Amino acid sequence: MFKVAVGHSNDPDSLEAIDEILEQCQQTLDGVIPQAGILFAAIDFDHSLILQRINETFPNIELIGGTTDGEVSSILEFQQDSLTLMLFCSDEIEIRASVGRNVSQAPVDIARQSVEEAKQQLTLPIKFCIVMMESLTTSTVSILQGLASVLGDLPIFGGATADQWQYQRTYQFYKNEVLSDAVTTLLFAGNILFSCGTASGWRPIGKRSIATKVDKNVIYEIDHKPALDFYHYYLNIDEPDAVYPLAVFPPNEDTFFLRGAIAYDKAIGSLTMSGDIPAGSIVQITDTSLEDVITASRVSFAEAKSHYTGQEPEAALFFSCAWRRQIMGTRANEEYQAIAGSLKNLPSSCGFYTYGEVAPLRQNGQAFFHNTTFVTLLLGNQ
Amino acid sequence: MEVEDDKLIIKRLEKENRILKKKLERSEIDRATLETTNRNKEALLKKVICDLQEYQSILEKKSSDLEQTLADLSLMQTKLVEVEKMAALGGLVAGVAHEINTPVGTSITLASTLRDETQLLMTLVESGCLKKSLLNHYLDVANEVSSLILSNLNRAGELVHSFKQVAVDQSNSEKRIFKVKEYIEEIMISISPQFKHNLHNVSITGDDSISIDSYPGALAQVITNFVNNSVLHAYLPNTSGNIHIHIQQQGDRTIIQYKDDGFGIDPQIFNKIFEPFFTTARDRGGTGLGLNVTYNLVTQKLQGSIDCESEIGKGTLFTVNLPNSIST
Repeated sequence: MFKVAVGHSNDPDSLEAIDEILEQCQQTLDGVIPQAGILFAAIDFDHSLILQRINETFPNIELIGGTTDGEVSSILEFQQDSLTLMLFCSDEIEIRASVGRNVSQAPVDIARQSVEEAKQQLTLPIKFCIVMMESLTTSTVSILQGLASVLGDLPIFGGATADQWQYQRTYQFYKNEVLSDAVTTLLFAGNILFSCGTASGWRPIGKRSIATKVDKNVIYEIDHKPALDFYHYYLNIDEPDAVYPLAVFPPNEDTFFLRGAIAYDKAIGSLTMSGDIPAGSIVQITDTSLEDVITASRVSFAEAKSHYTGQEPEAALFFSCAWRRQIMGTRANEEYQAIAGSLKNLPSSCGFYTYGEVAPLRQNGQAFFHNTTFVTLLLGNQ
Repeated sequence: MEVEDDKLIIKRLEKENRILKKKLERSEIDRATLETTNRNKEALLKKVICDLQEYQSILEKKSSDLEQTLADLSLMQTKLVEVEKMAALGGLVAGVAHEINTPVGTSITLASTLRDETQLLMTLVESGCLKKSLLNHYLDVANEVSSLILSNLNRAGELVHSFKQVAVDQSNSEKRIFKVKEYIEEIMISISPQFKHNLHNVSITGDDSISIDSYPGALAQVITNFVNNSVLHAYLPNTSGNIHIHIQQQGDRTIIQYKDDGFGIDPQIFNKIFEPFFTTARDRGGTGLGLNVTYNLVTQKLQGSIDCESEIGKGTLFTVNLPNSIST
């Protein structure tokens, strides 16, 4: 048995919202106790109160989650300033939550230790991991390296928590704790089927330049000039715009991945990117359109569906980039509707808009940190 | 009951009110963000258009530079052909000069001997001491020496005749009607001193009467380059090989086949043999221009085509297909 319940409320009042959600979930569960859950919450809520209510309702629940730049579910579709919860019930699957606190102090080691503890509690073979992590204080790529050092090539899915485009402080949830600068994971083990799909829609335009001075996720110089000048040249502004990430072509590679600027230092002209960049990479500014963004979400879901080996998935998790939402503006709901409109029966769905997405580059491959990408994760066990 | 319903309605309305307030707040923020995004997009697209215009200018400049480079290369190629021609002519002159030295030197020695013998005879005649036996000896010497002088000078004359025609043809680019087989024979005589020490057997077959209206100088250089290539690449030094040239006419075309039985060309380099500056014998004085110049002469000057077949250990065959008459 594998059962999923989803609740979603757009009531700005924290207590009203969580109560509404818990009521929706309990109706679906019909008395079944959930083993684990994922909570996606807008930044303005009273998160402690929300976690407290969940734990009162479902004591000992293995819960993770985080703040967002928008939430999506099969109940209210796309929303901002809302709260959504997905609960998992199964007697054939083991799910364990883990946390790594103050991850910026030693991202690789802390991430590794956190997942090692959870792994030891599992008796069934681990199938995959869902991660919700900080991205403003540390290198997300280093966190993934730490997780991969324990999980090997096991797929990792998820995203970096967000704060509704403020880039000030994001929060991660672990059971009844509201944390910052943390990494939280859910390990899934046992009889569970899953598949994933990823797509972006951004394309490089303009000059090809070289990242001439780089340290992990900080670019100091592009073409031997302060990196910030690069954005100034293209956008005529003094700060980077995350909607226009950089296409990064690692040395001797003709395929690219995307990295957005999440912070900058005006004094030295450096850019702090959403993930590490190999020194000597060719970088190009990128652009997209509303049509390309919507097409990508549909492609992502179709890819996941085509790789799903069971009959029908029970649940779908979506991790979409905050920068995609920024491009779509008031038409953000079309991303979800593009998927829903292509199906007769959409499984129970839940998702959030991230500051970076985690998914393998190929099915069952090692995790990779993406930007401006739409990730679909389908779950089921038959 | 009604109070309960009213409470529920009020509760729902309060919730809707909260949601609408939040949405209004959010829409204002989103509107400002979207405006910024659109402004940035406009700036980005303008800049990208500027980039493209800049690239267009760069490409136009590069294209113009390439055209200039191509013109320079064509000029250089013409000059190189000229250099190759003069180098071949220089080799021809040196070879002929060296070759002519022997019969002329021998003739001088023989003439000197004849003069000494004649002076001795005159002395004997003046002194009245001439005997019949001495006269007979003189006549024998005179006869033998004059025969030797004549044959030596004939050899020298033959060389000069061939050299004169080939050298003239190579030094000026006159188009004329000439007999192909006869002309190739003259070329081979002229250049034979250059590879005489390699002891190669040269045979030329074909119809003597085949004539073409073309540039003999260009053909002379083509044949010279084939021979030089064979001498330099196809055989070990001081070994003898067989070179065979066959001429035939097929309608309005004349086919010249040049074949050696040397090492043959390595398949790995076969496709590069006509490339300029490609040589496997730079250490032995190869310039890598010979076959490139040959290709250009055949295809451009002589308006024909050239083809090569080769097999390791069996030799190489060049087939030159020329029009019987070329348009000027």
